[in-house]
Amino acid sequence: MLLDHDRLGLPLRLSLGAIGTLVVAFLLAPIVFITLLSFGSSPWLIFPPPGWTLQWYREMWADPGWLQAMWHSTRVALVVTALSVSLGFITALALVRGTFPGRALLRGFFITPMVLPVVVLAVALYALCLKVGLTGTFVGFVIGHLVIALPFSIITLCNALEGYDFALEEAALICGATPWQVKWRVTLPALRLSLFAAGVFSFLVSWDEVVVSIFMATPGMETLPVRIWSALRQDLSPVIAAVSTVLIGITLLFMLIAALFKKDDDHGH
Amino acid sequence: MPTDTMTATLALPAAAAPPRRRSGLAWLTPSLALLALFFVLPVLSLLLRSITEPEFGLQHYAELVGSWTYVKVLYNTLLVASVVTVVTVVLGFPVAWLMAIMPSRWSRFLMGCLLLSMWTNLLVRTYAWMVLLQRTGFINQTLMKWGVIDEPLALVNNLTGVTIGMTYIMLPFLVLPLHATIKALDPAILRAAATCGASRWQAFWLVLWPLALPGVASGALMVFVMSLGYFVTPALLGGASHMMLAELIAQLVQSLLNWGLAGAASLVLLVITLGLYALQLKLFPAKGGQHAA
Repeated sequence: MLLDHDRLGLPLRLSLGAIGTLVVAFLLAPIVFITLLSFGSSPWLIFPPPGWTLQWYREMWADPGWLQAMWHSTRVALVVTALSVSLGFITALALVRGTFPGRALLRGFFITPMVLPVVVLAVALYALCLKVGLTGTFVGFVIGHLVIALPFSIITLCNALEGYDFALEEAALICGATPWQVKWRVTLPALRLSLFAAGVFSFLVSWDEVVVSIFMATPGMETLPVRIWSALRQDLSPVIAAVSTVLIGITLLFMLIAALFKKDDDHGH
Repeated sequence: MPTDTMTATLALPAAAAPPRRRSGLAWLTPSLALLALFFVLPVLSLLLRSITEPEFGLQHYAELVGSWTYVKVLYNTLLVASVVTVVTVVLGFPVAWLMAIMPSRWSRFLMGCLLLSMWTNLLVRTYAWMVLLQRTGFINQTLMKWGVIDEPLALVNNLTGVTIGMTYIMLPFLVLPLHATIKALDPAILRAAATCGASRWQAFWLVLWPLALPGVASGALMVFVMSLGYFVTPALLGGASHMMLAELIAQLVQSLLNWGLAGAASLVLLVITLGLYALQLKLFPAKGGQHAA
């Protein structure tokens, strides 16, 4: 009765529906409003805006700081993604298929960077990077983001490898495939969806990372979130709304690609 | 034959695979080295500084416990985390329930909204709430236009602002796992309750709620722990008089260069966080700590 939508009874159905609608509005409101306001002409972000304009986007393009920060973010995120997926893959492989003692414990250990409050990691890494001169460098950003992104890769790929039927590989070997062929033509294609998911997670984790980056950044090298952070501490300029809309667009694009991949996979099986 | 398949994937000749006890450990070296150098080492040395800087002793811990300012920060941290957890559960439970029983088209739509908000950049979400909640923001303007209020309400730089912003961030972390818990329940149990004469009210409190409680408790604990260590959203929506532990640590390092005290505050935050996670793993061994996948 309570787990059957059609037999909830009208009052319960209406109240659950009302809360559901409210929460959907709550979830979508910030995203929708910022997108609309980025095209609005009010510099004080009044809604509804008195008119529509592309002025804030023009200001964003005209400011080399924003573009440079985007470029830094993208470069860091791409390198972090590549490292996180490849390191995560061999780590997950060893954790799921290795035959050494203490695997469960090690698996827990690899998750800890995700569990720990980021601010502690950020301050600790900042101290280390100050000492060895890595603050404000590309390498410093990559290391900081990689430590945070790696657990996402490891969890995703461990789960995938646990659900993967290793008998497939044995079958391929029996049918005369060489170990390399097995790896390239059986294992990797079977896991491609999870590898892709691990990549998307890693990219977004790095691209969105704020706390470590705030400490790591110098005026010469800052990522996009750091620049938004510093801008936000001064005022709520509509240029930030334009930048935000670009970021929301990128998130939507990623979700769309992920959905397409999933659909493709559903058809494939 | 785990050893055979292992060597096959590691691209060694399958035939040349003697049964080895510790195969695979070497493949952990790069990631272990990364975490040892850039995670374990820096965190431990930060914590060590709390008792060695400027001189050896527990003076920083005495300061944390003895100073009213720092006790208030700890109190604020626990207060914000508790309020956010309660609001998230109150909003999240009906949504998770609804999502588990709605026609799949609608539940997919809800899921899409949750994922979109979850994957939108954290600063973008916080900025959006700063804009919506400010004195001239949409919410105040609308309420004034409708005549509900005469003066704009103070919605940011206080507990209200932090609660709204943090609840927005935490909601998916509660709803997604709880939705799975409720979805896994067998509707026949509730039909049985109805057949045995239970009213809707009784069926909820005596059957559905107890069955969903492990999911609620584990989700709530996770939201609480994550809220404790949050930095960005409280710093932007909370204001100076509502400083939380994470902001204190950042400020001690960035503006006051007091590494010793920052180390001590970090240890306090770590002990609370890891203690609660340990509790979570003990209470809910199956799912604890794997929420990201």
